[in-house]
Amino acid sequence: MLRFFLLRLFRALVTIALVVTFAFVVLRMSGDPATIILGPEAPPSAVAAFREAWGLNDPIWVQYLSYFGAILQGDLGMSMRDGRPAIELVAERIPATLQLTVPTLILKLAIGIPAGVYAALHRDSIVDRIVMIGAVVGFTMPSFVLGLILVLIFSVTLGWLPSGGQDSWLHAALPIATMGIGGAAVLARFSRSAMIEVLGQPYIRTASAKGVSWPRVIRGHAMPNAAIPIVTIVGFMVGSLVAGAVVIESLFSWPGVGRLLVIAVSNRDLAVVQCILLLIAVTMVVSNFVVDILYGYLDPRLRNNYAKA
Amino acid sequence: MTDTVLHSTEATPASSKGKRRLPPFLVVLGFAWLALMVAIALSADWIRPYNFTAMDLQNRLSLPGNPAHLLGTDELGRDVLSRLIESIRVSLLIAFSATIISAVFGTLLGFLAAHFRGIVEQIVLMLADFQAALPFLILSLAVLAFFGNSLMLLICLMGFFGWERYARIARGLAISANAQGYAGAVVQLGATPSRVYFKHILPNIASTLIVSMTLTFPEIILLESSLSFLGLGVQPPMTSLGNMVGYGREYLTLAPWIMLMPAFVIMFTTLSISLIGDWLRDKLDPTIR
Amino acid sequence: MSMPLLSARHLVKTYASRRGAFTKPTLVKAVEDVSLSIDKGRTLGIVGESGSGKSTTGRLVLGLEDPTGGRVTFDGAAMPGLKTPEWRGLRRRMQLVYQDPLAALDRRIPIGEQIEEPLEIHEIGTPEERKERVAELMRAVGLRPDQASQYPHELSGGQRQRVVIARAIACGPELLVCDEPVSALDVSIQAQVVNLLRDLQEEHGIAMIFISHDLKVVRNICDRVVVMYLGRVVEEGPSDEIFSKPFHPYTQALVSSVPVPGTSLTDRIILEGEPPNPASRPSGCAFHPRCRFATARCRTENPQLLTVAAEREVACHLLGPAQVPASIAS
Repeated sequence: MLRFFLLRLFRALVTIALVVTFAFVVLRMSGDPATIILGPEAPPSAVAAFREAWGLNDPIWVQYLSYFGAILQGDLGMSMRDGRPAIELVAERIPATLQLTVPTLILKLAIGIPAGVYAALHRDSIVDRIVMIGAVVGFTMPSFVLGLILVLIFSVTLGWLPSGGQDSWLHAALPIATMGIGGAAVLARFSRSAMIEVLGQPYIRTASAKGVSWPRVIRGHAMPNAAIPIVTIVGFMVGSLVAGAVVIESLFSWPGVGRLLVIAVSNRDLAVVQCILLLIAVTMVVSNFVVDILYGYLDPRLRNNYAKA
Repeated sequence: MTDTVLHSTEATPASSKGKRRLPPFLVVLGFAWLALMVAIALSADWIRPYNFTAMDLQNRLSLPGNPAHLLGTDELGRDVLSRLIESIRVSLLIAFSATIISAVFGTLLGFLAAHFRGIVEQIVLMLADFQAALPFLILSLAVLAFFGNSLMLLICLMGFFGWERYARIARGLAISANAQGYAGAVVQLGATPSRVYFKHILPNIASTLIVSMTLTFPEIILLESSLSFLGLGVQPPMTSLGNMVGYGREYLTLAPWIMLMPAFVIMFTTLSISLIGDWLRDKLDPTIR
Repeated sequence: MSMPLLSARHLVKTYASRRGAFTKPTLVKAVEDVSLSIDKGRTLGIVGESGSGKSTTGRLVLGLEDPTGGRVTFDGAAMPGLKTPEWRGLRRRMQLVYQDPLAALDRRIPIGEQIEEPLEIHEIGTPEERKERVAELMRAVGLRPDQASQYPHELSGGQRQRVVIARAIACGPELLVCDEPVSALDVSIQAQVVNLLRDLQEEHGIAMIFISHDLKVVRNICDRVVVMYLGRVVEEGPSDEIFSKPFHPYTQALVSSVPVPGTSLTDRIILEGEPPNPASRPSGCAFHPRCRFATARCRTENPQLLTVAAEREVACHLLGPAQVPASIAS
């Protein structure tokens, strides 16, 4: 188990290192930050001073190593735009993003899993139909379209809810609904198929043939086994808490990390973009890591395999 | 060990799609819609009533149903129908090219991993892991904004989307074909690797790859439209479906049709391909879910 | 003494099975110190249960896998490295017939094209000559040339195996290794395919290694027989003698299980105990847990393969060196 744990940890760290490398290579090779920030007409002396100040004159691998070293010390660089540490800029936006994404996640879980399990146990019922249709829409409708349609209905036509900004909890309603509805339907569809698959397994038939009561079969045998694939997708949803908000935050002018990313990208603010890339990658990797560990916990076969290995 | 982990992630997005047999009627509708879209994209220059950048300042924000402008006009008096037709062409061009690039690239990498095993295989798997660690939208945001913006770059970038799905399929199937099956037999006849992979393995796994393309294609359309919606994808004066939604958003109260038309086209197209994909999967390849 | 067409000396094949990237692999010895040789135009049978290493031996002598130890010499030259151009060129001189013909054929290509493929690969003849050769080959293996456009799934099991055989002999190989060529076929078809192989072998003078778990099949077709148990050769000798007078207790058990017309199976020797598992090889003589005659020595000491009579070699402590004239022992 310890070996398994360390192996996963190693892979997680390698992935993060790759993300850092990717960010560095793409962002640094794409153009000269000095001309981008100062503009093409900046005096050469200013450009030279800028390059000196940001270490842009060093060979690229020195810049890379010093960047890597700085990250290891928790220094993610200064925003080239307003001179503040990038990590500060990003950190102050995180609460706003969480304000949207945590309720969204709760909404998805609270609706998605029970609806999916219910649909699996009551095939072809009304709930089942709604789950199926909802999931198809969730898969095929871009989030910004759903968001705009909700705005059209609830803000423009009915005038019940504000369409942008972060002044009150009311402002969070539409973004949360936009992200939650599609996600809940997808999760429901997923739980439904996981459950149906498990219900078709021989051990379920064996258990009910032995005379175990149906509710006990569901709780004792079906749910724990269906949990394994569901954990995967929930882990993925947790991992994309920040990333998923990029489009929606922009749509609803919500001052979170996602919107900051879009702004920083348009401004070519290297440090901020790198910082957000890293934040997103770390969230993804950590949640994948936790899912893997949970797998070991939920699936004794895997646990034994790794223990033996 | 890696295989079990990879397999489980592989199954994640796919198995959430239906196992239920869809009525062929819907599939026929899907094909019809897709055929219509392709026909529109191919004949865009001839069927479009106006140039998509032409302004009709007399008829700004005109309602749909106007005899001169069937689907109305936008804030600059540009014909929404003409812009829609041009957008369909651009979005389909990007999605088709990117899907093909991603399939070719992924399959090649999968074959390389299967052929050389060892370190090459580890690198390919590591790249696939990396791709899974960063949402592709975020990755492309960074690349696009920093490399500037062109249609070519956008297509190439989208072409990196979903390659790992093909790579995993191609690698897995090639390894098993080499281990005991027909591919091993052909190697034993003295065939060169290129003959084994392209004459024998590729035709045998083509149906699985095509089904994967029906999964990738709608995702690329959604991705491109999200990027364009954020103003970071297709740049004006060129237009794409996501672009139209993005601009239409500003006139949501005055002229919701500008945004609704392209939005419906996006939805129907992705829906059609998903339906066709489900049906193809049942028909061609019951082994992948 | 003339040089054999193929000779294998002290072949060892060890597979490492590992569970994780950083775990210590467990080693499984599939083949341990196997030597054999075959002359031009002769037939050699390799007999053993599943797990005896007979298929691995077949793949090693063809050079389809690199041996962990030992070497293979074909027509006086060492086997070239796996998948090098020389190795590929050598394929036209040695071929394999598979156990499962359906798996060995590409289900998306018509059989005619598949029979033609080795000719194409080795650039033999013009396209017209190849087409003619394919028709000729199909007739030779008992297929109709007009079946060339059919796909493997449209044929019966026996016909598929005929396609595999036609493909294997297309380039006129000097050595054919048949790995359980009939065990996947209906019993009624087996004899036909065995007869076909024997006819082709005699007609073209192909040297043949015939791998089977089924003694009666081997008996019909082979000049010499090698009996393998858990990766080692336990007995070798001329086919007729091994069947009439088996020395090794394991061979005796195998021979006694072959029904002979007109006699009952009353004196059949039933093997007891666990079937052999290469992953946990018993100490000493690997056969001792199932041997009726096992002694204390058999549990600790591995018997060497020794010549006990003219052209007869056996690895068994019961037939120790005492019986072996020193001059013949090698």
